[in-house]
Amino acid sequence: MQFGIFSVGDVTTDPTTGRTPDDTERVRAMLTIARHADEAGLDVFATGEHHNPPFVPSSPTTMLGYLAGVTKQITLSTATTLITTNDPVRLAEEYAMLQVISDGRMDLMMGRGNTGPVYPWFGQDIRQGIPLAIENYALLRRLWTEDVVDWSGKFRTPLQGFTSTPRPLDGVPPFVWHGSIRSPEIAEQAAYYGDGFLHNAIFWPMEHTAQMVNFYRQRFEHYGHGAADQAIVGLGGQVFMRKESQKAWDEFRPYFDNAPVYGHGPTMEDFTRETPLTVGSPQQVIDRYGAFWEQVGHYQRQLFLMDHAGLPLKTVLEQIDLLATEVVPVLRQEAEARRPAHVPAGPPSHAERVAAARAAGEVHTQRVAEGDHWTGRTAEDDVDAADAVAR
Amino acid sequence: MSTSFPIGAPMAAERSLVVVSAGVSQPSSTRLLADRLAAATVDELAARGLRATVTTIELRDLAHEIVNMTLTGFASGALSDALTKLAAADGVIAVTPVFTASYAGLFKSFVDVLDKDALAGMPVLLGATGGTGRHSLVLEYALRPLFGYLHADVVGTGVFAATDDWSDGGGDDVKPLPERIRRAGRELAEGVAEREPAKPAGLYDAVPSFEDLLGH
Repeated sequence: MQFGIFSVGDVTTDPTTGRTPDDTERVRAMLTIARHADEAGLDVFATGEHHNPPFVPSSPTTMLGYLAGVTKQITLSTATTLITTNDPVRLAEEYAMLQVISDGRMDLMMGRGNTGPVYPWFGQDIRQGIPLAIENYALLRRLWTEDVVDWSGKFRTPLQGFTSTPRPLDGVPPFVWHGSIRSPEIAEQAAYYGDGFLHNAIFWPMEHTAQMVNFYRQRFEHYGHGAADQAIVGLGGQVFMRKESQKAWDEFRPYFDNAPVYGHGPTMEDFTRETPLTVGSPQQVIDRYGAFWEQVGHYQRQLFLMDHAGLPLKTVLEQIDLLATEVVPVLRQEAEARRPAHVPAGPPSHAERVAAARAAGEVHTQRVAEGDHWTGRTAEDDVDAADAVAR
Repeated sequence: MSTSFPIGAPMAAERSLVVVSAGVSQPSSTRLLADRLAAATVDELAARGLRATVTTIELRDLAHEIVNMTLTGFASGALSDALTKLAAADGVIAVTPVFTASYAGLFKSFVDVLDKDALAGMPVLLGATGGTGRHSLVLEYALRPLFGYLHADVVGTGVFAATDDWSDGGGDDVKPLPERIRRAGRELAEGVAEREPAKPAGLYDAVPSFEDLLGH
């Protein structure tokens, strides 16, 4: 089972000091956090993607590409990649590039984005969120699995004879998760393709999470990808720890009370009872997160939100240390001890996906386009190409 | 997915009435009107051979949770139960006091956290209370459009009770309050009786298969 952290990259004033980092400082903090997570031995670092203040991570593959070069073992991922407002052609190119650069030490998670005004900035409409997610992802998959793609659809200009480069590493695309909180259509999508499904449970009661995850599991089995308990499930989580529980409560409370999402609403007592937010000692985190499998089954990835609500960098790094040294080793061992043999321990690695594709006879050796008739000549000279476009 | 109903059972099924009362004082004339409307509806259903259970939701008791849900997006505790019962009802009676020329803010906040389809096609009886009859059109200019937006099946008679209406003669010589309550109860009972009893819906029954989503 994998344990990691995810960041939404919010720029938030520290309510205890009144200090607000600027965008540069926040981006650098994210890089420091990711490197620290790698050194501490966590399994995953995932960055959000946002195109509106107060969030800084607009360009995930630039960030993750850099991190691929300066980290050793951590899997680089997204939380989430906007499948609605990004051009699927650019996603195919950028994430294949990241896959090659990171030597397969990456995956990504599709999400729709819930901020209405962002959609029109990219020429889209939030009311078409689900149809966009479905059409764009279907195209993205084809761009990764087929060398030459002819395509037309509703939301983007048609493609004729298009080849997305670089081709995926070893001819096998990155593993994909789909993240959704409320939309069962997205769980259905993940199940249809046999992809992973991550429910970011941090603002929601676990009962709701369990319903969505179990729906995904049933549909995964329905589509013939394996038994329901073999589906690839991830959960989002949120914790704040100190060795002494009361110190954690005292220290975190001003951040909770002023947090952008739930601040000035429910009390921290209510919220820690109703949602997976756990404030207390490492042992309390182990007790709580070590029991979620009872509701959602054995799952493959647990992500924690650690760097938000204005928490200072130093505190975040301390939280990562507590997570990596006191919590994760215990949770990992417990998970492995109770996992049935037929249930995957984690999401498939690149090497496992290559082996599976080869066993299934699906993988073809990487190919470069044989005859490039597009560049080095003018379009007017290239009658074949012009005909292809006209068709 | 669809669930077939056991043969012979529908007429015997018990109907569920959910009453929403947004009165904030105790005792509350809004609650009093809500109770009278519920009793009239139960009587009229009984006259049609139908038994009904009544669940009353006092919004005052849920006020903090309604605000929390407005901020967090999810229902906690008793509010979660209330929303589930409301969506599964066979008929709804919604009654609010008039505050500053419209429904109470608490009432609107509750409506705001309902699922957008929670009341679609639902028989609904509307009531309001106020100091004088000069507020009585609140039913028509505020409440009815709100429930129209939600695609509720609002019965023709809404009941407004002013302070005077609680006097011995029902406040109005021509259409005293008890008569208006009876008529409204009859209309709601007719709407409930005509409708198939609500079935507990599977949470994801309405999710289309992925082939449909893909348009294949």
